[in-house]
Amino acid sequence: MGCRLRRLCIALSASALFFSVCSQAQPQQVNAYQVQAAYLYNFGKFVTWPDGSPASQSETFTICVLDGDPFGDTLHSTLVGESVGGKPVVVKRIPKAEDAGACHILFIGSAQGRDLGKILIAVDHISVLTVSDMPGFSKRGGMIQFVLEGNRIRFEINLESAQKSHLVFASELLKVAEAVIKPAPPGD
Amino acid sequence: MSTTKDRSIAERLTWMNMLVCGVALVLACAAFIGYDLATFRAARVRNLSTQAQIIGANSITALLFDDPESATKTLSALKADPQILSAAVYTTEGKPFAAYSRPGSGPLPAPPSIPRGQSEKYWIGKNEILLARSIEFDGAPSGVVFIRSDVEALNKRLELYVGIGSIVLLFSLLAALVVSAVFRKSVAQPIVRLAETAKAVSLNKTYSLRVPQVHGHGEVSVLIDSFNDMMEQIERGEESLKEAHDKLELRVIDRTAELVAAKQELEAYSESVLRAKEDIERASRFKDQFLSTMSHELRTPLNAVLGFSELLGDARYGPLTERQVRYVNHIHTSGQHLLRLINDILDLSKIEAGRLQLSIERVSVESCFAEVCGSLQPLVDKNAHKLIRDVPSGLVVHADATRFKQMLMNLLGNAIKFTPKGGKIKLAARQAGEMVRIEVRDSGPGIPEDERNRIFEAFHRLRQSDKAAEGTGLGLAITRRLVELHGGQLDVESQLGSGSCFYFTLPGACAPEAGKTLGEPGVRGSGALARVLVVEDDPSAAYLLESQLSSAGYEVAICDQPERAVDLAIEFQPAVMTLDVVMLPVNGWDVLSRLKSDPRTANIGVVMVTVMDQRNTGALLGADEYIVKPVDKSVLLSAVERCLSRRNHADARNSILVVEDDAATRELIADLLAQNEYSVTSAEDGEQARRQVQASMPDLVLLDLILPGISGFALIAEWRKNPSTANLPIFVLTNKDLTSEEKDYLRANTRALISKHGEWRDDLVREVERVQRTAPQLTGAQ
Repeated sequence: MGCRLRRLCIALSASALFFSVCSQAQPQQVNAYQVQAAYLYNFGKFVTWPDGSPASQSETFTICVLDGDPFGDTLHSTLVGESVGGKPVVVKRIPKAEDAGACHILFIGSAQGRDLGKILIAVDHISVLTVSDMPGFSKRGGMIQFVLEGNRIRFEINLESAQKSHLVFASELLKVAEAVIKPAPPGD
Repeated sequence: MSTTKDRSIAERLTWMNMLVCGVALVLACAAFIGYDLATFRAARVRNLSTQAQIIGANSITALLFDDPESATKTLSALKADPQILSAAVYTTEGKPFAAYSRPGSGPLPAPPSIPRGQSEKYWIGKNEILLARSIEFDGAPSGVVFIRSDVEALNKRLELYVGIGSIVLLFSLLAALVVSAVFRKSVAQPIVRLAETAKAVSLNKTYSLRVPQVHGHGEVSVLIDSFNDMMEQIERGEESLKEAHDKLELRVIDRTAELVAAKQELEAYSESVLRAKEDIERASRFKDQFLSTMSHELRTPLNAVLGFSELLGDARYGPLTERQVRYVNHIHTSGQHLLRLINDILDLSKIEAGRLQLSIERVSVESCFAEVCGSLQPLVDKNAHKLIRDVPSGLVVHADATRFKQMLMNLLGNAIKFTPKGGKIKLAARQAGEMVRIEVRDSGPGIPEDERNRIFEAFHRLRQSDKAAEGTGLGLAITRRLVELHGGQLDVESQLGSGSCFYFTLPGACAPEAGKTLGEPGVRGSGALARVLVVEDDPSAAYLLESQLSSAGYEVAICDQPERAVDLAIEFQPAVMTLDVVMLPVNGWDVLSRLKSDPRTANIGVVMVTVMDQRNTGALLGADEYIVKPVDKSVLLSAVERCLSRRNHADARNSILVVEDDAATRELIADLLAQNEYSVTSAEDGEQARRQVQASMPDLVLLDLILPGISGFALIAEWRKNPSTANLPIFVLTNKDLTSEEKDYLRANTRALISKHGEWRDDLVREVERVQRTAPQLTGAQ
């Protein structure tokens, strides 16, 4: 039950970020990373990984964070004990992008901005959802980019990148996205 | 009247129709509307639930990724449903996340909470329906959708239904009215007519009325048919009743006529019965008269026969040859037998006719025994019988003294007749409860058992009896009837060879008070002998004298105070006195001299009874007899008798008037009295008697009651009214059977009453002597 409550709290804290409190138990401790951590978890529910990919065959739901972790302990503490699609959530830190073979989600800190091209190429053939909070991420080929909009954290989706990696996004997710970069029509 | 009935039945029918119709319709409408509304509401709730689900599903991402705009957009789709007033999405914490509100619908109410375990809940209010549904995603609640919808459609639907229902109801009632009107004609009208007819029938009793028939076979038709049938039956019944009534009247008239006839017949019959009764009464009077005549006419010559044959037998008028004596005795015996026979027949016929009157009084059994034994003593002596009397002194019965003696005489006579010479006869009496039992026991041959009941029949005689000729054969029959008339019973016990015992009962009475006989005037004529006054101051000596004199039949009084002896003698008027000499405070000589010197007591015979033998002194002072104690009974009695006979001789000059119409009887009585040295004059009828008494007052009148012209009763009444003859002693000597009233009258007004039925001659002489002795003032008066 404690698990369930915490998960509720995650969802709620996402909406109450910055202007409100999740609960009396966590006053003022909800920050942007916590929201982002919850979002990472929620994305897992609206994304379908292709059959046969290492991620879909994995027994865990693995969220990988590339070196230069901005979350610190937050990510782990927020998501520990949760599960997505019956698979327990595991947070894993990896030194380089090539290690992301078994990951469902790869969070790329904004500190990796210079190496982004290399990273994206490195994971280009792996069906892994790339998420980052660095500006221009989605335009540069990342799949989901957090955007700060006022007090709220929103996100943009590059649907083209996702389709390249054979990831399928649920339409509901697209509906709440701040912006969606759609792939060029087949005729282009 | 009829319109009220009409209205009432028709109205009731109408009301019934409309009520049934209306109630049915209202119930149907209510059920229908209720069902429809419930269905409609359920559909609305389902619809809202669906909408809430859609909104919830579309709001999940908005909630997860904090996108209220997206949720708001989703909510705004509810605009399409005009009934939804407002809707909202709340976070799991209850914070409003997105809202939709139709313009003018008012503020959104606070979100209701959904109970744990349920995903949806709705509330139906007066004007709205509220529905909350939780939003779940991936098995976890993510928020709540809340929808508020108005129920205007519902209300409108309700209004519509009510409108339609009212219209239907209105039309139905109208239809019911129409139907009732139709039924009023076909149902109510015949009933009303029936009621009117029934009313008319009961008012006017016209049973010919009929109710018009209605078509059809319903109950009303049956009712009317039955009513008409009933009326017909009543009419027929009425007719037959009237017929019966007429017949009955005729019968009553007939019966009345019959009754009148019967009544007349009855009256005629009762008249004839009255006549018959008069005839019977006349016949009865004739019979009485006949009996009375018989009794008088038969006895009178018989008395002469008997009297003169007796006188002849006494050889007073010259000596008779032996043959003459025998013949005279035959005449006398046969005459006596004939007299007894006549008396018995008359008695029996009187008893049978219920005409025998008893004069019941207190009768001393002892004295009756004495009297009867005395009468029969010669017979007893002749047969050398031993006659024993056993009676307690003072035993008294309620009986007619004459009849009592007659019973005793009959029974004792029989006993003497049937007891062989030297036999024993016992006459006994004793108290048995309230009755007195009297028995006559003989030592004769006894009575065979088969004869025991027949002996009481009239004219029955014992077959073996060799002395049959002596009786009349009526004695026992009469005796039994007499006993029964007294309320007693006569019966017999007998043992062949050892004798018989006849016994009977009579009602007992208390013994009379001792000494009551002193100075009692009521004992006159009862046959008691002369009065004796015993002057004796020694009680035991006085008692001895009294008992000796009483046993001989004298009436005794005792004087134990010699100084009062003269006064008592004047008062008591005894015939004889016994006088002791040695007495205190006065001795017997003094009393004797005073007695002899007083003219009122000079005639009393005085017997001196004393221990002193001073006969000369006694003779000197005028004592009639002198006895020296101890007193022998026979000496005493003969002395007293000598005194009495001396007195009679002294009274010889007393005159007696004999009033008797029968010449033979007159001569007989005159002869009898002359023999006793009385001077006798006689009268043939009342007129002569009256004249003789006026001419010369006799000392005594012997009066027959039945006389030509003036009767004996008339003479008595006349003499008693006249002061000069008021005290004239009268003896009644009669054949007449007296009633008890006549007896009472005679006892009150005469000195003696002697019946000529029995042995009256001795009685007569004895009574005359007694009166002469006890009435010395009469001699003084002459």
